[in-house]
Amino acid sequence: MIGPSIKIKGEVTGEEDLLIQGKVEGTITLKDQELSVGESGRVTADISARVIKIEGEVTGDTAGSEKVVIARSGNVRGNIVAPRVTLEDGAIFKGSIDMDPGEPAAAKPTLTAQQSANSPVPGLDVKSG
Amino acid sequence: MSHSSAQVSQLLPALFRNFDEEQRLCVLHLGPPRQDTLDFFSTRRCRLHIVDLFAELPLPAEQDTSHGLTAHLRELLQFPAATVFDICLFWDLFNYLDATALRALLEILGPCLGASTVAHGFSVHNPRTPEQAMLYGINGADAIGMRSRPAAVPGYSPHSQNRLLELLECFQLERTVLLTDKRLEMLLRARVPQESAPQTRAAQAGAARGRRASA
Repeated sequence: MIGPSIKIKGEVTGEEDLLIQGKVEGTITLKDQELSVGESGRVTADISARVIKIEGEVTGDTAGSEKVVIARSGNVRGNIVAPRVTLEDGAIFKGSIDMDPGEPAAAKPTLTAQQSANSPVPGLDVKSG
Repeated sequence: MSHSSAQVSQLLPALFRNFDEEQRLCVLHLGPPRQDTLDFFSTRRCRLHIVDLFAELPLPAEQDTSHGLTAHLRELLQFPAATVFDICLFWDLFNYLDATALRALLEILGPCLGASTVAHGFSVHNPRTPEQAMLYGINGADAIGMRSRPAAVPGYSPHSQNRLLELLECFQLERTVLLTDKRLEMLLRARVPQESAPQTRAAQAGAARGRRASA
């Protein structure tokens, strides 16, 4: 964990899960691990990890090989590349989201045969800043 | 009180009919994204550009020299070079932009529109139509999810249908559907001069390179 009073400038790499509650500027690369940016976390960096959960502020590009989750307290400015992205109610996001299901679209639900119109609608309110 | 519902869309199927399943889509969404929209597009190769202009309202006046309207919009709407949107989503946005803001927005978006760009939007049947203040998402290929906005949006001042079409110079109206609550669902297609369409420019550049290579 990088605690709330810690400031790091530079390259952060590792092979274990990491929680950031402090400030990081630079790059963060956690190959197959999970990165969490806590509510007090302030990250200005390009991030690469398997799973990325953001409850604080991130400015930079974010690549999650499995998924990226922006929590309701999260504020993200940048581009996201991930097969799955979750934006919780209240999350703030400005940028682009690159999605690629990674297999032929025919093998997955398609644009013409997707969710039922009667499926429950998640109560989301995503604002950009 | 928050109210969620879904409505069948007659025009969404026509919007997606233009693109085959394997094609990588470039989508512009100028509103608050909802999870259902992300889930919908996540089933295919897609880049979704999201800028919630509603969160920027009210926009500054053009004559604000420190940070005028056009400069503000240009700062918000920065896209990678050569970006051409396949689909633009303009859900209710035009009801909150005056003529000056709308022209500035379209001037900025113009270079990112191609001959095959299509847009889906909601406007109103006439300017007296009451504000709905909804959040929208794509529930399915023919369904729009709606939920009441948790907070009011300033500046509701819709244009008449004719005035809106005048202002939307770089789009032509393909179809409209009058909805039960006097809103209009719109399907638009970019009106891009052949000589200025990005794809055309790219094709011309490629042809020029080919000519040079074979010379």
